[in-house]
Amino acid sequence: MTYTDEMTPKERMQAILQGKEVDRLLVSPLILNFASRSLNMTVREFCTSGKNMGNANIACFKQYRHDIVYIFSTTSTLAEAMGTKIHFPEDDAPQVETPLIQTREDLQKLKPVNPEKDGRLPVYLEAVKRCVDAIGNDVFIVPVIGAPFTTSAALRGTEKFIKELYTDPELVHTLMKVTTQSVKNLIDAYVKAGGVPVTVEPVATGSMISERHFREFVLPYLKEVYSHIHSYNLPGVLHICGKTKRVIKCMAESGADILSIDNIDLLEAKELVGEKVCLMGNVSPADGMLKGNPEVITAMVRECIAKASDNPKGYVVATGCEVPIKTSHENMVAFLGAGRRFAQLPINLN
Amino acid sequence: MQADKQDILNRLAQAVINMDITRANEIAAEVIRCKIDPYEAIMDGLAKGMDKVNELFENEEYFVPEILLCADAMYAGIEVLRPYLPKEGTWNKKKVVIGVVKGDTHDIGKNLVKIMLDNAGFEMHDLGRNVPYAKFIDTAGELKADLVCLSTLMTTTMDGMQVVIEDLKKAGITSSVMVGGGPISPGFAKNIGADGYAKNVAVAVKVAKSLFQDVHLPLTFKTPEFVSVRKNRGGVR
Repeated sequence: MTYTDEMTPKERMQAILQGKEVDRLLVSPLILNFASRSLNMTVREFCTSGKNMGNANIACFKQYRHDIVYIFSTTSTLAEAMGTKIHFPEDDAPQVETPLIQTREDLQKLKPVNPEKDGRLPVYLEAVKRCVDAIGNDVFIVPVIGAPFTTSAALRGTEKFIKELYTDPELVHTLMKVTTQSVKNLIDAYVKAGGVPVTVEPVATGSMISERHFREFVLPYLKEVYSHIHSYNLPGVLHICGKTKRVIKCMAESGADILSIDNIDLLEAKELVGEKVCLMGNVSPADGMLKGNPEVITAMVRECIAKASDNPKGYVVATGCEVPIKTSHENMVAFLGAGRRFAQLPINLN
Repeated sequence: MQADKQDILNRLAQAVINMDITRANEIAAEVIRCKIDPYEAIMDGLAKGMDKVNELFENEEYFVPEILLCADAMYAGIEVLRPYLPKEGTWNKKKVVIGVVKGDTHDIGKNLVKIMLDNAGFEMHDLGRNVPYAKFIDTAGELKADLVCLSTLMTTTMDGMQVVIEDLKKAGITSSVMVGGGPISPGFAKNIGADGYAKNVAVAVKVAKSLFQDVHLPLTFKTPEFVSVRKNRGGVR
C-alpha cells in the first residue's frame, strides 16, 4: 500500500506554522549534496554552479517530493566567502584547506560578507532563485547557513579556535561578532531571493565543547541570529549534530523554534526541551540511510515517530545529519514511504 | 626529601590538569634541580595528570579544548625533561600507525587519540589526515606495526577503512586494526573486520590496551608538531 499526500509540502508547512490542521507530520530527510544524484552530477559540478545546484534540487524534489528543499554544500561556505581557502574534492563535500586567520594580524582582513559578490554565495543565491521559480509554489526553499561559531572555526582552524576559548577569548569574540554580521547579511540576501534560511552550528556540539563555553561563546550570537530571522516572521531552525545532550537546553534558549538533532535519544530530548521547541531528527545517516536496507530504515523511522510524534511543540521526521551521497534510491524511497505512512495524523503505528 | 618529591610530582600532574604550560615548565625545571629521576617525573607526574584528564573527559567534565590544552602542558614539561632522559631504545613499545582515511581532513579526534595512546605508552606514528590507503599499508609493513588506527568523521569516507583492512590482509600484514569516528558504529566496525572499535577518546586507550597482553611503559616521548604553536604562551585558567 502506498501513501499519497493530500497537501503540498508548502501547504503542510504553512498550516503547521499557523497551528492549523494537517494531514501528517513533516518528513524532511536532510537531502543536501545527495541532490546532485538526481542529475547524475559530481558534488563538485553540483556545488560550484548555481544553475547545477538549482536544477539538481528541482529534479530531486520532483523525484521524491520531500517536505523541505535545502540548498547546501558545506558548513564552511560562509567562511569561504570571508576568505578561508576551500578544497573541492571531485565527488564529496568541500572541505577547509587553509583558514583565513593564520595570525592575530590577519584579523584586520575580517569583514562581513557581501552575499552578491563573495565566494560561492552567488552560486547559492542563484540556486535558491531557480528553485523558488520552478518549485517554490509547492515547497519552501531552505538555504543552510553555517552559524557564527562554526564559521569562525573555519576562519581560524577548528583546533586553534577551540583552544582560544581559553587562551584568547578576545579573539574568539572578535571573530564571532564579524561572523554574526555575515550570517545576518546572508539571511537578508536569502530572504530577498525567496528562501527561508536556517542555520547549522555543528562545531558547538556537545562532543566538542562544554555547556559553559556554549553559554559564553555561542549562545549570545545565536540569539542575535534568531531574533534577526524572527524579524522576518520566519521560524528559526538550529541544527547541531554529534552528541547534544549536554547542550540541548542552551540550544532551546537560543530562540530557535525547531532543533534538528542527531546523537541523542528523542525521548530524552523531548523530556529536556519538548515544552519549548519543535524537535527534528534523527534517523542515523550511516547505520540507516547508507548501510541499512529499506526494512531497517522503515523500523528506524517508525521508532522515531513513536518516540517524538507527541512532542508538545511538534516533531519533524528527519535524518540526524546529512543524507550520505552514496545512499541508495531504494533507501531514500523507504525513508519517505515510512514517513508518509507512520506520520499520518492521527498517529497510528500499525 | 621524599615528601618534597611527592609534592613536586603532584604539582606536575596538577599543572597538566590545570592546562598550565608555564607551571609545567617551571616544575619540570624544579625536577631537574632537585635531581629527581626525569622518567619518574614523566610517569608519576605529567602522565598521571593526563590520566586524570582522560577521566575528566570520560565524565564529561572536560571537553576537546581542555584535552588539547592539557596535552600542551604535558608536552611542554616533557620537552624540559627530555635532555635528561637516558638514551635508551624504545624496544618494548607497541608501534601504532594512526591517520584519518583518504577524503577526510577532520583530524581533531585522531589527534586526541594520538595524545592519549602516546600517554598510555604506545609508540605513535602519525600519518596525518586525508591519508591514501596505500600509505597505511606501506607504513604498517615497514614498521611492523602492532596496531593501525583509522579515523573518519564522514559517511563518504568510512568505507575506506574496509579497503585498508582488506589491503593489510592481502599484503600479509598482521597488525591489529582499531577504528573510530563520528559515523562509525560497533556493527560497522565488526562488519569490516576491525579488531577494535573506540567509541570515543577515553575508550580508545582501553580498547588499544585490551588488544595486547602486556603493554610496556614508555621510555621516551615524542612531542607532536602542533604543540609548538602555543609554547610558553603562559598558563590559562
